[in-house]
Amino acid sequence: MGVSLLASTACTKIDNYEGPNASFEGRLIDVTTGENFQTTTGNIQVRLLQVSWSATPAPQEIPSKIDGTFKDTKLFSGTYKVIPVGGAFWPVLDTAQVDINKGSKHDFELTPYLVINNFTHFLDGKSLKLNFDIDAPIGAGLPTIIEIQPYVNTTKMVGPGASIFDYSDARKVVINKEWINMTPADKSIELTIPELASGRTFYVRVGVRVNDSFKSSNLSQIIEVKVP
Amino acid sequence: MVFGGEAGMDVYMANIYRKLPIEDFRYRPGGEGRAGMNLHHEWQNFFHAGATIGEMVGPFGGMDIGGGFGYWPYDDIRAVNYVIENIPKYAANFTGPRVNELLGEAYFCRAFFYFSLVKRYGGVPIVSSVQNYPQQSIEELQVPRNKEEEVWTFIGEDLDKAYEMMAGTSPRGRANKYVALALKSRAMLYAGSIAKYGSVNFVEGEAKSAGLVGIPADKASSFFQKAWDAAKLFEGSSYKLYNKYPSDKVKNYTDLFLDPTSEENILVRDYSITTRTAHSWDATFSPGFMTVGPESRAYPTLEFVERWGKLPVLDANDRPVKFNNLADLMNNSNLEPRLLATVYFPGATLRGKTFDTQRGLYENMFTGTVTEEVAKPLEARASITSSDPNTLHNGRRIIGEAGMKRPGSPDNATRTGFFVRKYIDYSKAQPVTGLFQSEQAWIEFRYAEVLLNRAEAAAELNNTGDALTCLNLIRERAGGAQLSLSDVDIEEVRNERCKELAFENHYYWDLKRWRTADVLLNNAKFKGLMPYYVISENKYIFLAERETFDRNYNFEKKFYYEPIPGGELAKNQKLYPNNPNY
Repeated sequence: MGVSLLASTACTKIDNYEGPNASFEGRLIDVTTGENFQTTTGNIQVRLLQVSWSATPAPQEIPSKIDGTFKDTKLFSGTYKVIPVGGAFWPVLDTAQVDINKGSKHDFELTPYLVINNFTHFLDGKSLKLNFDIDAPIGAGLPTIIEIQPYVNTTKMVGPGASIFDYSDARKVVINKEWINMTPADKSIELTIPELASGRTFYVRVGVRVNDSFKSSNLSQIIEVKVP
Repeated sequence: MVFGGEAGMDVYMANIYRKLPIEDFRYRPGGEGRAGMNLHHEWQNFFHAGATIGEMVGPFGGMDIGGGFGYWPYDDIRAVNYVIENIPKYAANFTGPRVNELLGEAYFCRAFFYFSLVKRYGGVPIVSSVQNYPQQSIEELQVPRNKEEEVWTFIGEDLDKAYEMMAGTSPRGRANKYVALALKSRAMLYAGSIAKYGSVNFVEGEAKSAGLVGIPADKASSFFQKAWDAAKLFEGSSYKLYNKYPSDKVKNYTDLFLDPTSEENILVRDYSITTRTAHSWDATFSPGFMTVGPESRAYPTLEFVERWGKLPVLDANDRPVKFNNLADLMNNSNLEPRLLATVYFPGATLRGKTFDTQRGLYENMFTGTVTEEVAKPLEARASITSSDPNTLHNGRRIIGEAGMKRPGSPDNATRTGFFVRKYIDYSKAQPVTGLFQSEQAWIEFRYAEVLLNRAEAAAELNNTGDALTCLNLIRERAGGAQLSLSDVDIEEVRNERCKELAFENHYYWDLKRWRTADVLLNNAKFKGLMPYYVISENKYIFLAERETFDRNYNFEKKFYYEPIPGGELAKNQKLYPNNPNY
C-alpha cells in the first residue's frame, strides 16, 4: 500500500519550472567608431554562463549576426555571466553579470585589434583592385598579424566562412609580422582579384587576421561590385 | 582465481590488452556515426585520422574530429590498478621474477592509458589506486585534474618501473622492457614538444593559467633528454630495421608491414577471422575492382607525396611533361622505393589489375600553361570527362575504373590520383579481400619510430650528429639518398618522420604536438595529381589540381586539446575548469 502510494505520488509530480521564455539581445559596439563592430555571422560569440543554476554551468553561446548585433529569445530566466569572445578585439576582462528576463538588453563595447581605413575599390574590366590602410588603436602587445585577404561572395553574407575560395582564400597575402615591425608601406595594402565572373554582382570586404587564441579577423565594411 | 597463477593472469591481461589505446586499423576518431577505440565491428577503416589533416583526404567533412569522442578509460585504469595493488600479495603463486614482470607489465599498461588521455585532454586526474564505491564517498571519488606536466611525469615514472621490472623478451603481443622504452621515447618526445611549442602557440584560458594544459617551456629539454635516453637504450637489443630483401627495396618496405617475423616489430596486435577480430584494411583502401569491395574512401594527397620532393610533371615553361605510358611517371622518375611502397601511383598494379587512374581525355594538347589550364573550371576546359568509367569516347574509356572521382559521383574512386599501399596485403587472393577478412598485424611500436623519436629529440637538443646517424639508417633502408650534417635540421627530421610513419596514426598527433596544425590547416584545400590522356599525341600528362571533392580543412587552436567529456564534467565538478574555449 505504502509502495503504491509513493509510486503514484512520483508520477503526478509536475515540472513547474518556467520554460525558456527569457531573451537577451544587444549590440557589439566598436569603441573607435561608436558603430556596430564589423563582424560576420558567428564570428563573435556572446558566451553565457548561468550562475544562478549551477556553480559550474555549461557555457552556451549566442553567435553574432552579420550586422554586429546578437539576440537569443529562448533562454531560461536567471543570472548569467556574459562575455563576448572570439572576435578580433582586445579581450574583455571584467565579465558582466546580467539578470536575464524577458526582453533583457546589454551592449558590449569592444576595442578592435586593428581598424581598416580608407577602403577604396577600383574595377578594371574583370579585375578588382582593393586599397586600404590598417591602424591599431592599441599597438603594444598586439598579437602577430598573420595574413590579409579579401572576402568575396555572391550574397551580402560575406566574411570568413562565407566566401568564394578562389576569389578569397586563394588571394591571401601572408604577413607574419609584429605590429611594431610593420613599416608604413606594410600598413597600406593593395589586393587584386583578377578574373571575376562577368555579369555578376559580388559583395566584397577585406580582413586582417591576427594570431590570438581565436585567429579571428578585423573586417572592413561590405561593398557591392557589379562586374559588367 | 585471477592471481592464482599464469593462466588466470593471461586471461585478465588479455582483457586489458584488448582495450589498450592502440590506434589501429579499427580506430575511428570521429566523423559521421560512432567513433572510438577498439571497435570490434568497425569496417569503415577509411575513417582514418590522417584523412582529417591532409595526409589523406577522406570521408570526413574536413578537420572535424577536434572535439574528440569522449574517451575516458578510467574503468580500464581501475582494472590495471587492481593488478598493481593485489598481485604482490600473491607472489607465492608465480615462479621466480614473474610476479615482478607482471607488475611491470601493469605499469606499462597504466602508462599507455594515461598517455592516451594526456595527449587528448592535457592534465587529467591521476588515479593510482583502486577506488571503491560505496565504501568511499562520492566526494572522495571525485578526483580533481592534475597539471599536464604532472601527468607526463607520472607516465615517465610508470614506464621506468615497467622497464626495470620486465624481461627483455615477451610473447607476441605482450609488453617487455623494450616496449616500455618505446612508449617512453614517444611520450617524453610529445611532452618536450608540448613544453616547447605549446608555450608559444596556445589558447588563453583558466585551464592554461592553472597549468592543467601546457607545460612550462623550461621543462622541454629535460623531457627531450628522457626521450633520447629511452631510445638510446635500444642499442645492443635485438631490434633492427627490417631488411630481409635488401636488393628489392620496394618489396622490402612493403613486406615490413606484412611479415610477422619482422625484427623491427616491438609491439604488435594480431587479428584473426576465426576469433572474429579481423579488420577491413584491404577491402577499404583499394578500388572495388581489385577487392571483394565494397569501396575505398581515403586517398593520399599530393602534398603528402611531395614530402619526397616535387614530381617531374612540369617543364621549365609551365607546360606538362608528356609520358608514353601511365606508369612511366612512377617507373622513370627515380622515386624513392619507400614512396612507391607507401602509395600506389597511377599505373601500379595489385592482384594483376592496374590502377588505371585517369581524370579525362584531351583530344589535342591544350595551348596555355598548366597554371592557366587548372585555374579553369573542369567544364570550361578542352578535356573530355565523365562520371562513369564505362562511358566510352570513340571506344576508349574516359576515366579509369580506379578514378578519378567526378563531382557528384561517389567517392569510391580516388580524389587525388593516389591510393594507400602501406599495409595492403598484396599476396591475398581477391576473393578473400572482403570486409573482416584482413588479418595482417598492426604494428604499434616499431624500431623505425624509436630511431625517429631519437632523431627528433637529438635535433631538439642540438645534437644534430646523432640525428643524422638515425635518419641515415632510416633512409638507407628506404632506398633514399644519404643526408649530410648540414642537411639536418628540425624540419628535415620531421619530414622524415612524416614519410616513414605515414598512415600509422602518428601524423595527427605530430601536427598537434608541434603546434603546426593551425598553420597547415588554415582553411586549406589539398591537391591531387590527375592523369589525362592526350589522344592526338598518344601521351599521358599529369596536372596538379585541387582534390576532386574540394573540401576545406581548418584547425581551430582550441583543438590542440579536446574538451573534457560533458558527461564526466556533470559527474565530477572538480574536473572544471574545462579546456580553453570549450
